[in-house]
Amino acid sequence: MSIRVEELSKAYGKHAALHNTTLEVCTGKLVALLGPSGSGKTTLLRLIAGLETPNAGRVFFHGEEVTEKSAYERRAGFVFQHYALFQHMTVFDNIAFGLEVRPRATRPSKAQIRDRVQELLKLIQLEAFGKRYPAQLSGGQRQRVALARALAIDPSVLLLDEPFGALDAKVRKELRAWLRRFHDETHITSLFVTHDQEEAFEVADEVVILNEGSIQQIGSPHGIRKDPANVFVQDFLGIEYQI
Amino acid sequence: MAGAIQDLTASRGLARRPQRATEERPLVRWLLIAISVGFFAGFLLLPLVAVFVEGFRRGAALYFQSFSDGVSLEAMKLTLITAGIAVPCNTVFGVAAAWAITRFEFRGKQLFTTLIDLPLWISPVIGGLIYVLLFGSQGVLGPWLQQHHWRIIYNTPGIVLATVFVTFPFVARSLIPLMQAQGLAEEEAALTLGARGWQVFLRVTLPKIKWGLLYGVILCNARAMGEFGAVSVVSGHIRGLTNTVPLQIEILYNEYAFAAAFALASLLSFLALITLAIKGYVEWRALQDLKASQL
Amino acid sequence: MKRILPGFPLTFGLSVVYLTLIVLIPFAALAAKAFSGSWHHLWEAVTSARVVASYKLSFGVSLLASLINGVFGFITAWVLTRYQFPGRRVLDGLVDLPFALPTAVAGIALTSLYAPNGWIGAPLAKIGVAAAFNRLGILIALVFIGFPFVVRTLQPVILSLSEEVEEAAALLGATRLQTFFRVIFPATLPALLTGITLSFGRAVGEYGSIVFISGNLPFKTEITPLLIVAKLEQYDYQGAAGIGLVMLLLSLVILGLVNTFQWWNQQRVGRVA
Repeated sequence: MSIRVEELSKAYGKHAALHNTTLEVCTGKLVALLGPSGSGKTTLLRLIAGLETPNAGRVFFHGEEVTEKSAYERRAGFVFQHYALFQHMTVFDNIAFGLEVRPRATRPSKAQIRDRVQELLKLIQLEAFGKRYPAQLSGGQRQRVALARALAIDPSVLLLDEPFGALDAKVRKELRAWLRRFHDETHITSLFVTHDQEEAFEVADEVVILNEGSIQQIGSPHGIRKDPANVFVQDFLGIEYQI
Repeated sequence: MAGAIQDLTASRGLARRPQRATEERPLVRWLLIAISVGFFAGFLLLPLVAVFVEGFRRGAALYFQSFSDGVSLEAMKLTLITAGIAVPCNTVFGVAAAWAITRFEFRGKQLFTTLIDLPLWISPVIGGLIYVLLFGSQGVLGPWLQQHHWRIIYNTPGIVLATVFVTFPFVARSLIPLMQAQGLAEEEAALTLGARGWQVFLRVTLPKIKWGLLYGVILCNARAMGEFGAVSVVSGHIRGLTNTVPLQIEILYNEYAFAAAFALASLLSFLALITLAIKGYVEWRALQDLKASQL
Repeated sequence: MKRILPGFPLTFGLSVVYLTLIVLIPFAALAAKAFSGSWHHLWEAVTSARVVASYKLSFGVSLLASLINGVFGFITAWVLTRYQFPGRRVLDGLVDLPFALPTAVAGIALTSLYAPNGWIGAPLAKIGVAAAFNRLGILIALVFIGFPFVVRTLQPVILSLSEEVEEAAALLGATRLQTFFRVIFPATLPALLTGITLSFGRAVGEYGSIVFISGNLPFKTEITPLLIVAKLEQYDYQGAAGIGLVMLLLSLVILGLVNTFQWWNQQRVGRVA
């Protein structure tokens, strides 16, 4: 499932968060949106997810326009920066949520839901944690539950908003590697936002660098390093000026 | 809920350490404590104590007899009916208003929020006055009502309306800061997972706000049952018909039936104490939830 | 504008309809009644000597009560936030008592306490002080009901005071008292003023707790809300509406003041943080 946005703009009051942005993400790729705070990367992600409505521009999933569709109709799995786990539900109920709120016609049976949740718990290596509450988990564990919850609805794309931002360095490294491995296995089109360039360059197939609401450069990690498009990219990445 | 965060100060100001640079001398400290506790006990607590003492002054038997008086029973019935209508209506309103205010941006939000606080700012007498001016015999709708033989003022509907007016802020005011502090990330997550409107509210929001909602409802109820000024204006004080418990207390007191008046007053005082206890519990729970989510 | 979260039309619509029915229409009636009939009568009703005496009384005593609450409320808020002592939790919980207690209950309780034969009234009578059925009685009642407002407004502010700032002052040689007056008190001033104004707003409109202890003597201890009731009993709807409008206007002014102080408070907190 590919993602394409055309001339997307979003302003909050007088502040233009995103300006006339066009971007294409090919099926199965893992792409990073990288930039300093205020660059518009989270806004872009949320617009793609359907959590914000653009002032102008269009969004396409696999060639079909989804601009008017709700977040759920787009089947975008979203992982929030601070997990947004349902505090009052167990890990099991959190992951099962997307399946339990389906209309009766399409809702799987209790047994099917249970199997699917177990499958996902195994995937995130938290099989024994089904009955725990989010408050009883570590940051890294919560993040994995948030991911499993998003995967439960069989999303066509996976969108992650600074997924490892709230974790400490060691956990971050582990989860980064885990995400890369996970993507290699599932090949689900994924887009994640980060302000950490090491993370972007280590994990992603392609990096999109943003600043002040517009895209500065798109390319492979190696390609960008070799050929920074402008002064901002150079400064941001700390690349020495090439004569 | 300011009180909730307060208990984090438990780590501050332990009284037995040597004097730190930011502490007052023990003498000063204890003096201040004495002043405030003294003021509190003498000024605020004493009236409460007086209510119970005066209520039981003529003995326990007479205390309980005060409640079985026909007129008092009618008053209690009316108070229950009034609260029974006012509280659910105001709860529905409070939840709706809190949802609209904390989940959306719209023009005039500030005005809207201020309007919700209005009854807290004006005299309760005005709360009754406006309904008399609208529905009273010489009111704006007076002649029309008389034509249809409907009586709102000096009758139960008027009392209910005045009570609704005076107590409608409480549920909303309890929910708004709570829902604002909780943020809408969980609701957004539920949306991305496919939940529709009512599902989001019932499965995600309601469990989160249940304690704040409970407190708002309890407070609304306590205020509804205890409302005096507004109800006094619309009721006409018709004994046995349009007397609520607070009005009945007034009548008894003015007739020098002190023990009976205080007996009824003690009922309402119990309600007030229960309300405060629930508030304390709700704040404690909120603090627990806060601490847990910060692990 | 398409809204992401559901339920706006329903919740907004419901709230607006409710407010219109319960608040806006009745208040329109208030305005309508005030201006029905002659200007002259309205003016008379609103400015007659007896009514003006009640304005002065309500205003004056409420102000004094709020200031008293400012002092004791500050001390109590300080003590509750900064010190540990047995019963602190209980005290904290009970601060809201005047808020939760029905006004009529407070009214009769205070009256029986301070009447000449009451627990406090009797000893006071011995030294020649009458504390009920006069202005002192009203003052006492207003201090009672306004107390929670100051305490609750100050507590979060005192809590958020930076300890480091006080340490810095101490290191620079300030005594505790100096630190208090030069550093701590100014930081809490906006909140204190907010609390006092809130207490004032509540006091000015108070009815139930006053009518028992005041004695309701015209020109002496009649509060304005009582006069509204009196006018209604005489079926002078226009007069009642007129006085009601005046009180409403006063409330709006007080509300404006509170918003200003709160805004000032925000500015302060923003700067310090």
